[in-house]
Amino acid sequence: MDIQTRDDLLKLFQGKLNEAMRFYLETCTRCGVCTEACHVYASMGRVQNIAAYRSEIVRRLYKKYFKARGKFWPSVSEAKELSELAVEELFEAAYSCTGCRRCMVHCPFGIDTQMIMSIAKVLLIGHGSEPEVLSMLADMSVAKGDNVDNVRDSFVAGIKNLEDDVVAKWKSEAGADVIPVDVEGADLLYVALAGAHSIIPAAAVFNAAGENWTLSFFEAVNFGAFVGDPTKTKLILDRIVNEALRLKVKEVCICECGTAFRVMKNLSGKQPFKVTSITEVHARYLREGKIKLRKNSLDGAVTYHDPCQIARNAGVMDEPRYILSHLTDDYREMSAEPKYNWCCGGGGGLVALGEETIDFRMKSARVKADQVKNTGAPILATACENCHTQLSNLNDHYKMNVDVQFLSSMVADQLVQQ
Amino acid sequence: MDTVIYFILIPMVYIAFGVFIFGTIIRLIHIFRQPKNPSTLQIYPEKQPAWLWAIHDTFLFPTIRRHKPMLWVFLMVFHISLVLLLISHIELIADFPALQAIPHEVPIGSGFVGLAAAISVLYFFFRRFKSPVRELSVPEDYLLLILIFLTVLFGAEMDWARTWYDYDEMSVGDYQQYLYGLVTFSPELPDVVTQSGHSFMLVVHIFFANVLLMVFPFTQMMHAFLSLPMNKLRRG
Repeated sequence: MDIQTRDDLLKLFQGKLNEAMRFYLETCTRCGVCTEACHVYASMGRVQNIAAYRSEIVRRLYKKYFKARGKFWPSVSEAKELSELAVEELFEAAYSCTGCRRCMVHCPFGIDTQMIMSIAKVLLIGHGSEPEVLSMLADMSVAKGDNVDNVRDSFVAGIKNLEDDVVAKWKSEAGADVIPVDVEGADLLYVALAGAHSIIPAAAVFNAAGENWTLSFFEAVNFGAFVGDPTKTKLILDRIVNEALRLKVKEVCICECGTAFRVMKNLSGKQPFKVTSITEVHARYLREGKIKLRKNSLDGAVTYHDPCQIARNAGVMDEPRYILSHLTDDYREMSAEPKYNWCCGGGGGLVALGEETIDFRMKSARVKADQVKNTGAPILATACENCHTQLSNLNDHYKMNVDVQFLSSMVADQLVQQ
Repeated sequence: MDTVIYFILIPMVYIAFGVFIFGTIIRLIHIFRQPKNPSTLQIYPEKQPAWLWAIHDTFLFPTIRRHKPMLWVFLMVFHISLVLLLISHIELIADFPALQAIPHEVPIGSGFVGLAAAISVLYFFFRRFKSPVRELSVPEDYLLLILIFLTVLFGAEMDWARTWYDYDEMSVGDYQQYLYGLVTFSPELPDVVTQSGHSFMLVVHIFFANVLLMVFPFTQMMHAFLSLPMNKLRRG
């Protein structure tokens, strides 16, 4: 690696060093309490996947370049030079970590491995070694934000095609807009994913609850966050923030996408609208009696997978259970405490990388498959697109024989027409 | 040899405390002046009041108790010992009636507290020999534990060593004379402190303690100050 490249990368490193990051890099005592926290380690037993080891790969560079000891006695703390080999190790560490932050629950200090991995991801981008697919997808999202007018007509036409399917789930009054788009003064802006499964059930439930809502032009998913590019993350986020401000909505509701929800909730800053997940909104409708659901008409027991970014990392834990209590009397927890739930193994951009990562995703999530099997429930509900894809893959791979369903779809399917 | 002993017992103590105090303050200021993280780093479900739970997490290590109960026992013994040893050392400077609110002998535990700490350190040391903590450990982890072990071992022994001389040599009063002099910047070395049969223990103890203080601000021992703010971040 030439000196210029290294200096550029170290500048990127320096840029990530805020107060919390310094805490995390200075404090680890390598006590090993995090050992059993990582699903990758629990499934595959490789030391490299222990949270402390992952972090150490970044920390070695920190010790080398940002601490005096790394300069005059590097071996005592195993400080390491930033070389091509180190970049490979960074890739291994960052893209085998799903950012689920289960290890943060275990750590006596509360070290955030996902945050330390964000240094690795930034360095990989600087080095041009990040997964290209993710960068490309992020760029496409950014470009769409710059050219809304070009895509508006085809978007609206596409949406019109979905309306029949929505009406099949919930008969709207004649003349009512089944999927409203671009409605100024709506109460709620719904940000979906690019896919009918993310729009149809949601629309049916909004209409059933009599919500004054409007559909966003943009897809919620933030590929910038997956690839760990703060600038692109912000640009992708700002498209939605700007749309919400323009339409003067009171609430931005994010579809079943963990990353999108956490990014929107934590990074959108102080705004005149609140940010909610669709799970929270559905629970609210039930609590206020705006929708009614058929109970116990599902084919057997239900278990629920808490998506890491929605539950452990954003606090939506009671709402899905409340919703499920309206759907079934046979609900089975898969983890004694939701904050200790195993990650599905698909976060951090791994599912978005598709076939490229499938072998690793299946091997590294063995504990998840076991956890689901142990419930004995034939229906596996979840509230995150990534989790759903990964769990479906696991279902095939480990022959779990479960029906993987989106919680929002289950709600829409069981709506009682009043 | 006398010069070396003098250096360790007086100038080096000042140097060590200087490095420890200023090093720690400068490093803490440096860290706390960095920009705050723009978003919350909280883990859910939350419990209120968050600051109280952060203190709970910091001082009782609930996650270790849950996941590594054996380690938790030794960690508790070690850290409580450290607090007791700190009180003992303050009482070796002068008599503080406030610290005798709960009456106890000086030094507390007559060396057994130090022994408990030393045994805990041995546990921390040898558990690093076993995979996977072995793979996680770096040389400084072992070196720090050795340093702490030597410091507390030679400290703990001193009280027992007095039994060689019917408990007359190097009494609490002698320590107070030496340490009070250091604290008031009028250092003096009572003969008994340097001439006793077990003076070498004191010299070795203070030497290692000095080294420990000097490396403190630059190692993971800084968790003593950073653990609370970190746990607060997790609690939100």
